[in-house]
Amino acid sequence: MAHIITTTDVTRSFGSGDLITHVLKGITMTVEEGEFLAIMGKSGAGKSTLMYQLSVLDEPSGGTIIVDGVDVVQLNEVEATAFRLNTLGYVFQDYALVPDLSAEENVMLPLLMRGLVWKEARETARQAIDDVGLVGKYVNLPAQLSGGEQQRVSIARALAGKPRILFADEPTANLDSVSGQSVIDLITALNRDYGQTVVMVTHEREYALGANRIIHMEDGLIVHEECLRDCAVREH
Amino acid sequence: MRALRIGILLGWRQIQRSNPWTTILIIFVMMLTFLNLIAVSGILVGLIAGSEKAVQEKSIGNIVITALDTEDEILETETIRRTLATIPEIIGFSVRYQKGVQIEANYSTRRDLQAEANIIGSQAIGFDPWEEELVTALSENIVEGEYFQPGESGYIVLGALTLERYTAGFADITGALKEVYPGDKVRVSINGASREFTVKGIINAKAGGVANSVYLPASELRRLSGNPNRNADEIIIRLKDDRPATATAVKDILLRQGLDTYAKIRTFEEALPKFITDIKNTFNILGTFIGSIGIVVASITIFIIIFINALSRQRQIGILKGIGIDRRAIEIAYILQAAFYALLGSALGVAITYGILVGYFERNPINFPFSDGILVADPLGTWYRFLALFGITLIAGFLPAWLIVRRNTLNSILGRK
Repeated sequence: MAHIITTTDVTRSFGSGDLITHVLKGITMTVEEGEFLAIMGKSGAGKSTLMYQLSVLDEPSGGTIIVDGVDVVQLNEVEATAFRLNTLGYVFQDYALVPDLSAEENVMLPLLMRGLVWKEARETARQAIDDVGLVGKYVNLPAQLSGGEQQRVSIARALAGKPRILFADEPTANLDSVSGQSVIDLITALNRDYGQTVVMVTHEREYALGANRIIHMEDGLIVHEECLRDCAVREH
Repeated sequence: MRALRIGILLGWRQIQRSNPWTTILIIFVMMLTFLNLIAVSGILVGLIAGSEKAVQEKSIGNIVITALDTEDEILETETIRRTLATIPEIIGFSVRYQKGVQIEANYSTRRDLQAEANIIGSQAIGFDPWEEELVTALSENIVEGEYFQPGESGYIVLGALTLERYTAGFADITGALKEVYPGDKVRVSINGASREFTVKGIINAKAGGVANSVYLPASELRRLSGNPNRNADEIIIRLKDDRPATATAVKDILLRQGLDTYAKIRTFEEALPKFITDIKNTFNILGTFIGSIGIVVASITIFIIIFINALSRQRQIGILKGIGIDRRAIEIAYILQAAFYALLGSALGVAITYGILVGYFERNPINFPFSDGILVADPLGTWYRFLALFGITLIAGFLPAWLIVRRNTLNSILGRK
């Protein structure tokens, strides 16, 4: 399989002088197309910071990141925004839906931004909402949905534009165990059934068990890679 | 175009889902701002406009004919009179004679000849009361007694400001007759010739000179002044409508008839003293300046509202940028909200101004000492003020949105400063 993400010696530091904090200390890794990668580690290990670098939400202090063949470190803000729109999908831990928009309008936003006409965007959005198991809840506002349902809408929004990579930042953090498991099942099914590339940060090992591979981080470094299925395990 | 479409969707939904009372309050503030912008300058200008209107209605009509600068009187007055009678746009004209007079009252009951006489100097205007009625309808301004009746003689109508009780304490400065009422006798003197008249009525109007003058039938004034010449001092003309264009058209007709060789012909606008126009323009600027303070307050209000709104949605804005929404779309959403408030506030302001206030002040003018103030709301001026308010509001909506949206995407998502 081809590498869809390649990083070389990625560092990320905050502050300056004596107060500098090195959060990532030289990450070199790859993600294969169609792979489900879980990133795990304790708080402060740098897993979310790594995901922000991979998902073009932040700029590394050093190193290179190639995503889908593009050196994303070189992109300016406008190019990075367009790249995220056209290539990446995001699921945030607190769903991050626009509270004033209905479920279908939330899903339509990136589609409209891509240039789809209203009718086409709505049909695609409704299909995506159906696909995540929320048939008929198109016009519900986020406040009228449960946490699990909101996260499903968030997943529908991320997937409606058929992104090359889906990034999920602790998608179960605000959910009860039943809702959390159903969200994980959904993401796992997307990867298994449609070959969707997924990079997910999680605290919970049980939620990472659906992944192909787990990266364990500690103190800004990858300390261990664990293959669960269909991958070559590399020990650090 | 995509950014515009999404901006409209985001902005409109924010308006729809916002607290209705907050929305109403913001629109109310914008409406008051707009009214402040229109009303302050409108009333200041209306103060002068009310005075102008009174002068036009009660003093000089739509067109005024006076003596040439080189003459003391209008030449060929009868020729002019005959010409005026042939012009259909003219509904009436009044030929006026003016003389400086002395008026003495209570002379028959005066016991102490050493005491100051009850006497003033004034300007007497002589006219045909029925001709005059078609132009100025002075009878409507009688506040005591009556207007002239047909076929009677020996009567005089006094302007209110020639009487002490109407001068509000300024009698010492202006000079005024004491204790004179309709039915009393007064002695009118011109160049040594005197005649006794009965006070028929008292006239009052907030138009320059009307209340300061005294009025006699033209034949009696000419007889008293010993002037057999029928050439008048002033001819005032009332037209079918008050539009300046009509006055200009009729003036052109008179000029084509060659009447300007006998007299100076001016429309109402031309006859207005320049200082009146200057005061009007000054008041307009002053009103606009005062109203502009309201715009600044409104723009700060909008700035704060949008800033707080955008700040409270900072994370949401970060996420929108994170999922690839163009920052311009987010800025447009906030500009749209500001535009919505400005448009609705201004629309309500326009409706209240033209639907209620203008008509109300027309029917119930503000009682200023020297004029009946109306509300002048020139549509073009209103349009310019709306554009100013709208433009500034858009900027006030854009700036805070821009400040928030330009922040680092990840910092916004994580709520970092």
